[in-house]
Amino acid sequence: MTKAVILNRGIIASIIGPTGPEQRRLANRVMEEALKQAVLSIQEITFIVATGYGRINVPFADKQFTEITCHAKGIIHLFPEARTIIDIGGQDVKGIKIDATGKIIDFVMNDKCAAGSGRFIEVIADTLGVSLDTVGGLSLQSSHPATISNICTIYAQQEVAASLAEGVPLSDLLAGVHQSLADRICRMVNRLRVEDSVIVTGGGAKNRGLINALSEQLGHKVLVPEDPLITGALGAALIGKEIVEKAEKNRTPVETKERILEEVEIL
Amino acid sequence: MAEEQKEVKPKKRTTATKAAASIGPMVKEFITGTLQAKADGKQKVAYTFIVCHHEEIFRALDVVPVWTENFAGICGAKRDAERFLQRAESLGLSRSLCTYALCGIGFDQWREELGQMPPDAPWGGQVRPDFMISSGQILCDPRSKWYQASQQFMPDVPIYNIDLPYPLYQVNRDHREVLGYYHQYIVKQLRGLVAFLEEQTKKKMDYDRLRELVGLSDRTWNLIEETYDLRKAVPCPMGTGDAMNTMVPINFMMATQKAYDFFVDLKKELEEKIARGEGEVENEKYRLMWGGGLPAWYALNDFNYFNSKGASFPAETTYRMVAPLHEMDLPETKDPIEHLAWRWLGYWTFWYDRAKKRPGSEPDVERLINRIEEYKIDGVVMHEAFSCRTWHVGLIWQLHQLSKIYKPIPVYVIGKDGKKEKGYRELPSLVLESDIIDITSYSEVDTRNKIDAFIETLESVRMNKAA
Repeated sequence: MTKAVILNRGIIASIIGPTGPEQRRLANRVMEEALKQAVLSIQEITFIVATGYGRINVPFADKQFTEITCHAKGIIHLFPEARTIIDIGGQDVKGIKIDATGKIIDFVMNDKCAAGSGRFIEVIADTLGVSLDTVGGLSLQSSHPATISNICTIYAQQEVAASLAEGVPLSDLLAGVHQSLADRICRMVNRLRVEDSVIVTGGGAKNRGLINALSEQLGHKVLVPEDPLITGALGAALIGKEIVEKAEKNRTPVETKERILEEVEIL
Repeated sequence: MAEEQKEVKPKKRTTATKAAASIGPMVKEFITGTLQAKADGKQKVAYTFIVCHHEEIFRALDVVPVWTENFAGICGAKRDAERFLQRAESLGLSRSLCTYALCGIGFDQWREELGQMPPDAPWGGQVRPDFMISSGQILCDPRSKWYQASQQFMPDVPIYNIDLPYPLYQVNRDHREVLGYYHQYIVKQLRGLVAFLEEQTKKKMDYDRLRELVGLSDRTWNLIEETYDLRKAVPCPMGTGDAMNTMVPINFMMATQKAYDFFVDLKKELEEKIARGEGEVENEKYRLMWGGGLPAWYALNDFNYFNSKGASFPAETTYRMVAPLHEMDLPETKDPIEHLAWRWLGYWTFWYDRAKKRPGSEPDVERLINRIEEYKIDGVVMHEAFSCRTWHVGLIWQLHQLSKIYKPIPVYVIGKDGKKEKGYRELPSLVLESDIIDITSYSEVDTRNKIDAFIETLESVRMNKAA
């Protein structure tokens, strides 16, 4: 998903658009939608910060920051008590440890394997013929979570299909899948020596089953933002705002790119 | 068997020193030298492993060492290891084993099957040895198993194994209590090696020559220490990227005048750079330490990427396989074999006493702390190479322990009464994940994303450091 947040004194536009295979070229489309929602023209935007894996493909961005920094900024804004952030995205999972001012102390990332990311749940939901929105709720009905022993997404998919054929209830399978993913996330995040408050963000945060499993395995209460998909974009916008405010305070010019919204040409 | 096409070569890495840039041709020369030695038939060539303190014995008996880890590393650096790894896999060996060993075994099997070098073998290929000297070095089991596997394809090539243990660290025990026993054992092992090499070469050991070579190595050790100490300068004149080149004379050319002369030149070059105020990077913003793990040989360009962000690497623990001899208090002996054994033990127990003085520390952690302080380090980078258990198990633990017992960065924190007060926090660290030569484990995009995030963290620490 590609997200855009426009900030003034508060959020004045927030868009979540499908990324798709063309994401590397089409950041402009999501921006256009956000501008439409805010009833603004691109020329009226003071500063633009791009983040995420595609941050280098946003030609109209004035600065780029990694999603680690942006998530930290977005989360500390929403939860001043936050000390540990877990971002569960479709492609990867990140753990971020921050101090009281939102400065990053340490981070870990799993970017190697789908089995440790939201993609794992997507693949299993698809195998079980269940919509992604319902997997969390369904798993909470389980009384005997199944054990998913395969750590590879593809093998786990086969394991789940075989168990379903053997009559294992859907809710038990989904609960098992959430426990398996939570286990992998915890093992990674525990490297950071988790401290309260723990905030889970990203698409995975919308899955109540996964949040429950995570909280249980981490041994910490877990908080979730109201709109977990936009915390990175919100952080980017907050960083942009800070840059402008600092420049105004120091009476230094703010360097910005030409405000043209167009597709990127990738050679 | 599937024969993978060569990977597209990455952009050539730039080095900060002329000395590091001269290493490529030097390695090529000694690989060619092994091929020539075999063709001439005047000297015996032997497979063997680095960091065994046995080079002097080899050279005194004119045995040409073929460093099999080095050849695998070359295949990796040239992005040409995959076809040899695939060969080893098709022999039934798992990809999760040491990929240096897999590459070497795959190469050996192919060479023996063909009766000649595999097509386009990197730098002429790895020569068929006359014998193989394996080493049960305390942590690395492939060092004894690798050649046994290769011997399946060349059963006529004998193996001699030397066992080189050292007392493990125990906080409540003085390792000196058992050092004498270890010394006797290692001396026996090295004398066994001498006897084996004498038998193979039909030569008698010239102990005067051996003594001279050991003396040359000792002088080289001290010179390396003096040279690398120059990297404490701000800005740092040479980083770990270069040190991954200059490790060659340390690890593959010890006990040669060439290695000594190399460090004479490098020392001079660094002194000149320091006098000119010239750093590895133009505007040094962050000083990092490569705190552990062998590098991803195919991705050494990542050091240039760090450099492009203003990050220099004044220190590393990897491949700096020497320690200051004058601080080791080695017992005096005229017997060069006994000296080699004492030096071996002195090297591996070097940090033991210092670690005992700091609660919660361990020798590896103490070494990190020492380098952080001596080289004014702002952050630690480690590389977890999945296929090498030996050197990589424990890295995360070291970082944990480091952050627990060592918080050198002054910061302001909000105290219990809501007032700003001065506190201290740990050094930022980054763990990169891939492999020594298996490029399929590596993603440049993800690695550089992590580096970017780490640089942002360092910047945030720099901006918020309490005065």
